[in-house]
Amino acid sequence: MAGMFRDIFLFKDYFKMRSLFLLVSLASVLLYLSRAFGLVASYPPSFFGPPSMANLLGGVIFGVGMVLAGGCMVGTLYKMGAGNLVSVFAFLGILCGGMLFAEFYPADMSFIKATTFLKSKTALEQIVGAMWMPVLALVLISCFCLYRWSRGKKLVQNAYAQRYLDPWKVAVIMAFIFSLSYVLSGRPLSVTKGYANLSARIEGLFSPRHMDNLPFFKEDSLRFFYGTTIKESVGSDINSLTITQIPLIVGIVLGSFFSSARLKEFKISDLPPWRQIFSAIVGGIMMAIGALMAGGCNLWHIIGGLPVFALQSILFVCGITLGAYMGSHILKRVVI
Amino acid sequence: MEDIVLDIRGQICPACLLITLREINNSKLQLKRRETRLVVRTDHRDATRTIPGAVFAMGYDVNVVKKGGYYEITLEYKNG
Repeated sequence: MAGMFRDIFLFKDYFKMRSLFLLVSLASVLLYLSRAFGLVASYPPSFFGPPSMANLLGGVIFGVGMVLAGGCMVGTLYKMGAGNLVSVFAFLGILCGGMLFAEFYPADMSFIKATTFLKSKTALEQIVGAMWMPVLALVLISCFCLYRWSRGKKLVQNAYAQRYLDPWKVAVIMAFIFSLSYVLSGRPLSVTKGYANLSARIEGLFSPRHMDNLPFFKEDSLRFFYGTTIKESVGSDINSLTITQIPLIVGIVLGSFFSSARLKEFKISDLPPWRQIFSAIVGGIMMAIGALMAGGCNLWHIIGGLPVFALQSILFVCGITLGAYMGSHILKRVVI
Repeated sequence: MEDIVLDIRGQICPACLLITLREINNSKLQLKRRETRLVVRTDHRDATRTIPGAVFAMGYDVNVVKKGGYYEITLEYKNG
């Protein structure tokens, strides 16, 4: 997903962004239908709180980070699974970023408290009065755009990699997977707190007493299954993250490994230039801090929150766009 | 015709495309006079889409071949 935003600013290339637009639009329709048929009970989703400037600022930090790291939090996992060392450094950066965020978590909470607005509103439908209005507007715009893109053959591009899957096909599959996640668990897929859980475990190995004293690892909780809040800490050994997000993280890495091995493309890559290593680590740290500040990464906000018009996610997308613009300039002038 | 080999295995996008474009710019004259071809070796799958897509519009013929665990992208300036 990093490339979708970055390529617009670096190369004026909108190819991948078209698929993201398709994904969000289709997911929005599927979720609206799921709600109409009573398959999704909690609406607007209770795990999206009222918006604050932390969503915007977190989005900016995340946007810069994902461009510098060469991939988002999920992209980092699948590239790492195929043996790429740039992504291994980005992954280590994300884990370090989780530890750093835990240090200033109380300040982040104060910032959220001070900058939260529309305190009783979490989704656009509470402002416009009905969910069907933004969905209908999105559907009409999507139909118009998709018609033009398919006529102009702008949804497909020649790629020579073996077994290359067109991004628009991936978008359709992802829209169904995310909708299914909403229906089955009442929440979208996410990896952010799974990463934070890994950070806590690693910090716990080296400095257990310090880790135990960090409020972020102790106090945070996860809303789960139709808004029911499970009181548990991000840093505990066994919690809902252990059975949801950690398996997703491991699954993406393993899936990528088996896929690349099957194509005979798995290889531990050579070390990239030191500037790219440094950029990947810094980018990873920024991604983790940005995602934890904003209450979720791009997966959570763009594929999970945007289709239900969560206000937090709308702010996050504004932030990530600005961040990707800034990150692209930094990458071009300093890193490459 | 002599080949300029650009081995960027281990690097990911957008570095792959940016480095390739920089090399095309550096060797612009030799490439346009058809004194040389640019051969890019990459193990980043997305580069097999981004590099051909970008350079085709600049007047280059592109040939992509899978070799072992990587892809070799050959860029040659078109005749005329």
